[in-house]
Amino acid sequence: MVVTEWNSSALVKAATKTGKKKNSLTPMTFSLLHATDFADRLLYNIVPPLKAGMIVLADRYAYTAFARDAARGVDRRWVRELYSFAVKPDVAVYFRVPIEVSTDRLMARRVKLKFYEAGLDMGWSANAIESFRIFQGKVLDEYDRLVEEFDLSVVNAVGSITEQQRTFRKLISQHLEIETTDEQLDEQLA
Amino acid sequence: MNSLTSSSPEGGEPIVRPGSYYGNGIPYLPIDGYPGKIIAIEGTDGVGRSTQIRLLREWLEVQGYGVIETGWTRSELMQPTIEIAKASNTLNKLTFVLLYATDFADRLEKEIIPALKAGFIVLSDRYIYTAMARAGVRGVDRTWMRNLYGFAIAPHLVFYLKIDEKSLIRRVLQARGMDFWESGMDMKLGDDIYESFRAYQRSLLREYTSMADEFGFRVLDAKRKIDVIQDELRRQIGAFLAESDVSSQTITP
Repeated sequence: MVVTEWNSSALVKAATKTGKKKNSLTPMTFSLLHATDFADRLLYNIVPPLKAGMIVLADRYAYTAFARDAARGVDRRWVRELYSFAVKPDVAVYFRVPIEVSTDRLMARRVKLKFYEAGLDMGWSANAIESFRIFQGKVLDEYDRLVEEFDLSVVNAVGSITEQQRTFRKLISQHLEIETTDEQLDEQLA
Repeated sequence: MNSLTSSSPEGGEPIVRPGSYYGNGIPYLPIDGYPGKIIAIEGTDGVGRSTQIRLLREWLEVQGYGVIETGWTRSELMQPTIEIAKASNTLNKLTFVLLYATDFADRLEKEIIPALKAGFIVLSDRYIYTAMARAGVRGVDRTWMRNLYGFAIAPHLVFYLKIDEKSLIRRVLQARGMDFWESGMDMKLGDDIYESFRAYQRSLLREYTSMADEFGFRVLDAKRKIDVIQDELRRQIGAFLAESDVSSQTITP
């Protein structure tokens, strides 16, 4: 099994860093840089393990781009077309939380919100937390569309980690056709 | 609707109105009614684009037009990354295409659109057609490419400086020699750089030719003398500008 993370390719790191440091990324260049990162990882980190029959666990996938870029005002159809070179995942799981929970968790983290993470580039609010709330609200709305459009499996992410893992593992077990009983899951998660 | 491929039934002018987006465009940047003009000069390496653009700029500025120049991979955001990527040889055809598109998007939003808004003439040294030709040669899906550049603005005029393979080779060798990317060495057509250059440039020329109708290129013979080509460019641009009355908005007081 291999894990691949969103926005982690070395290729676009310099550009993303420059853009972020100067706050000079536009919704379009933000979108295209992430697509470049994805294309690079697809070629080097995703396709080879798939060919070798391995499982690729992707921390975020094209849906993140669909949600964020559309929330920033990029054309929805264009982003979908852009990522049409992506491999369709066998299972796509969406961990869903309401906006309040998302904001609370973020504040509890007690770290400063990053400029783009908070959607401050959009100029909706000068206040980072308020900006995040607006931006994240739009992102969550986009995800709701995606759940239907791409048949994402939803995990309620409000509950405890144990509960979430139980649902998650059940989902994956079904797809991999592994027999997993509730008792086995209890044991694993104990 | 989201495709750039449609042309009018007569096969003449492309169906997309100059100065508007090819596809759905950038929803948060409406550009309707902007007074500026985009004039693109296309052509392979070594056809003399930069020289022609420099001369055009002087000529236009003397007449009182505001002019900006924009050129391939010149964006502040992407230039260093593209240089590194080219040097390190880790590019594959898709990332190649996407880095170029990011560079173009950056220049479009930061340079081209503001200039159009202010009524400037944008002289573009290469435009999206170079990206399409290079991607086409490398086997990237044509429809996908046209969708990708659906955020680009159709130029008011596109001049294609056309040259044959033989003359091109001589010019490049005389000027600076063949380099890795211009020779398409990434496509592994062979170890011989001369043969690779020839095969690569020949395919590129075919790609440009195939786009001429689709995108309404005005084709100029690049083998002629610099000043002959310049005269022709000035004649055509002059006629276009006189017609579109851009002068009233950009002449400096």
